[in-house]
Amino acid sequence: MATHAPQVAAAAPALTAERAVTWPKRTRARLSNGLQVVLAEAHAIPKFHGELFFRSGEALVSDRSVGLAEMTSTVLRTGTAKRTSRQIEEDLRRLGADLGASAGQDTSAISFAGLSEFAEPLLQLVNELAREAAFPEAEFERERRQKLEEVKLERASPGFLAGERLRKVLFGAHPYARISPSEEQVTAYQREDLERVYREIYTPENALLVLVGDFDPRTMLKIIEKIFGNWTGKKPTAKEAVAPPQLRARRVYLVHNPGSVQTQILAGCHAITRKHPDWIRVGLTNSLYGGAFNSRLVMNIREDKGYTYSPRSGVTPLRQHGYFSVSAAVRNDVVAASLTEIFYELDKLRSLPVPAAELADAQNYLTGLFSMGLATQEGLLSQFSTSELHELPEDYLETYRGKVRALTSAELLAAARKYLDSANMQIVVVGDRAQIEEQAALFGEVETYDSQGKRIGG
Amino acid sequence: MKNGLRVVIAPDTTAPVVTVGVYYKIGFRLEPQGRSGFAHLFEHMMFQGSENAPKMQHIKLINSSGGVLNGSTMYDVTNYYEAVPSNALERVLWLEADRMRALKVDEENLINQRDVVKEEVRVNVLNQPYGGFPWLDMPPVAFRNWANAHNFYGDFADLDAASLADVQKFFRTYYVPNNAVLLMLGDVIPQEGLALAEKHFAPIAAGAPPVFADPAEPPQTEERRGYVEEKFGTLPAMAIAYVLPPRRTPEWYAMALLDQALHGGRAGRIHRELVLEKQIAVEADGGVDDVFGYNGPTQMTTRILHKPEYSAEQSLKAFDAVLREVQEQGITLEELEELKVKWRSDYYSTLEGGRGGSMPRYGLMHLLACFTLFDNEPQLVNTILEGFMAVKREEIQAVAKKYLRPENRAIVFRTPVSKVAKEAA
Repeated sequence: MATHAPQVAAAAPALTAERAVTWPKRTRARLSNGLQVVLAEAHAIPKFHGELFFRSGEALVSDRSVGLAEMTSTVLRTGTAKRTSRQIEEDLRRLGADLGASAGQDTSAISFAGLSEFAEPLLQLVNELAREAAFPEAEFERERRQKLEEVKLERASPGFLAGERLRKVLFGAHPYARISPSEEQVTAYQREDLERVYREIYTPENALLVLVGDFDPRTMLKIIEKIFGNWTGKKPTAKEAVAPPQLRARRVYLVHNPGSVQTQILAGCHAITRKHPDWIRVGLTNSLYGGAFNSRLVMNIREDKGYTYSPRSGVTPLRQHGYFSVSAAVRNDVVAASLTEIFYELDKLRSLPVPAAELADAQNYLTGLFSMGLATQEGLLSQFSTSELHELPEDYLETYRGKVRALTSAELLAAARKYLDSANMQIVVVGDRAQIEEQAALFGEVETYDSQGKRIGG
Repeated sequence: MKNGLRVVIAPDTTAPVVTVGVYYKIGFRLEPQGRSGFAHLFEHMMFQGSENAPKMQHIKLINSSGGVLNGSTMYDVTNYYEAVPSNALERVLWLEADRMRALKVDEENLINQRDVVKEEVRVNVLNQPYGGFPWLDMPPVAFRNWANAHNFYGDFADLDAASLADVQKFFRTYYVPNNAVLLMLGDVIPQEGLALAEKHFAPIAAGAPPVFADPAEPPQTEERRGYVEEKFGTLPAMAIAYVLPPRRTPEWYAMALLDQALHGGRAGRIHRELVLEKQIAVEADGGVDDVFGYNGPTQMTTRILHKPEYSAEQSLKAFDAVLREVQEQGITLEELEELKVKWRSDYYSTLEGGRGGSMPRYGLMHLLACFTLFDNEPQLVNTILEGFMAVKREEIQAVAKKYLRPENRAIVFRTPVSKVAKEAA
């Protein structure tokens, strides 16, 4: 990079005065059954977007089997006490609606969007799915077989294999290590397992309903009370999870993918959750490192050296633990060269204060990006949901930009030293062993696995 | 404008954010012969520097204004777009004008981006299960005119052969103001936007009107089939594609709703029959990729991954049965009404968003650009919905009979290489 000091575009017009960033007012309520509600208006299109969240997911139940919460969310749309699978799908179409159900480590969710004119019937359908899912035997059986094909298929994707290995390494015996079931686990799923997960997780006391769109909040709140008001159920008891392993020194985990014409690199270390007071510092540090197109890593290994198309870094804030990771799919002959640059840029951020101009640019980027969410119902929904689910302060959205702008180079240096743990990064490489093993071994002791997760060497 | 640049502004002050786009009427379909992949490689070059904004400055100036940017190469257009806080509007226009006026790149930039593009092809196609399926597999099977049939991502030999002279020639031929449209959407006052466009784009000289090769296909008289090996995936796959009626004809509107009937998610007939009912397939979806965004032969494509215990012919038979039912029975009035409601609802979403939370109004930008470049009528964005709402049952059945015929389709079978062979390698 030193030989390519960017020239400055002298004639670029200055930024004009900024227009105020104003987040729409939220109506917040809690029904007597514990259901938490957040409503906000956005009238650009005659539609609304919503999500019914439950504050539990795989991590709550993965001691029974892996993927049960996800499977529960998949099957719940296939039948209720009142409607068959086909009726549900056709009703959605009739209402001009889209609906998805999914589960992650910490939450399960039913997300939906539809025309405002049909808000009430769509919410009635969502209510049915949340309370009266029937888990029909034949539907369950089909989805289970379907899942079996999916888990076979995902092992052909380098990105999946890398992510799976890194999570196993970072989280050990903690539930966050288990991201996808084995074929044997899927084969052993029982319909009753799903019903049990459903009873435990899908309760009003465990739920958050966020709606954004073209409606009047007072009327909408009345509709919500009418539809969801008589629902009952307690929050599931949270379990104490074991601590993730303390990882010392770099190690390399090579997943052998025969015939691979490229190598997927994914390296990571433990970081922090979104609630942590250092979150915004880490976010800005990440943005400087590899979280933006204009970041150091992208400029180095893509724009300067041409090793890769899509390098990026990010912080994944799960509820109990967060982790930092950096990824790049690179040419097989530049695996060592790419890792060298990945660590060079990490170490540089850990050693030298960020120059003032670069800091200001990154602050502008992050604060600007934050406001993009204002322009769409989906963007607003996402910001409000994040804020609620991670139990951030009520003024989080309003104060975020100011906090980003107040950060100093010294604070970022401290954050980099603390959280971009270069010396203890765990390095996953997915590729053809014969072509990359020697290069990877330069960065730490190598353990080798096949695509099924079986240890085959090192 | 005097130089032929068209400017379209769609104000909406809901949020202090403005989306800016520049669309050029050239995509990968009509890139030069012997230079497959060139239009896309060229798109990368547009980020490599212009006279007043050298390499890295374009990206730096947008990101540091709090904005995001990208570009994409499609069949018949290439776009460059930014979403920024509205106080950066003039800066964005200045950047777009600078690269429209004076792209300034060198040999080193070209070699760098050729390497980046090769990794893009590897990550998206060569090293992915079902990579490029079917969007790269289908054209050489379905079409006979090179324009429609070649490898749009580019053969590596062709990418290697691309020279700086090619870059300059392509730029001079197609990247002229009279072959482009500039769009501003969101927090912009129209008079101010127009004045800024005038200030920064008026000095750019018009070029000779580009001459476009004819993308028309010779008539097809029989079904076409092709076979491709799948290196990583374990399930047999097939894609079946039918050529669509010409844009904005009554048949086209009907076909778009028929596409919804067939491919509309879990309620779509193909998914319902093959995945949910008969359970032959693990995936069965697809449709018309971008119904508004093409200006030459295009297809409605179904992508099927089926269980290995069913043969390709069995799966195809089940697929054919779904189409036959529509051809023989048509669809019910109730289904048609549902399809229209869903279409209308989807259309609103397209106008508002279209590319994730951080690229507001991408969809509106895309529609306005295509209606301007292909139809010279951006106002179509206000009326096009009426055409879909007016479709009748009989028209759906008629297009099903007329277009969903073997002589109007091509099929690509993508079959996993044996596992044994893979382990031995």
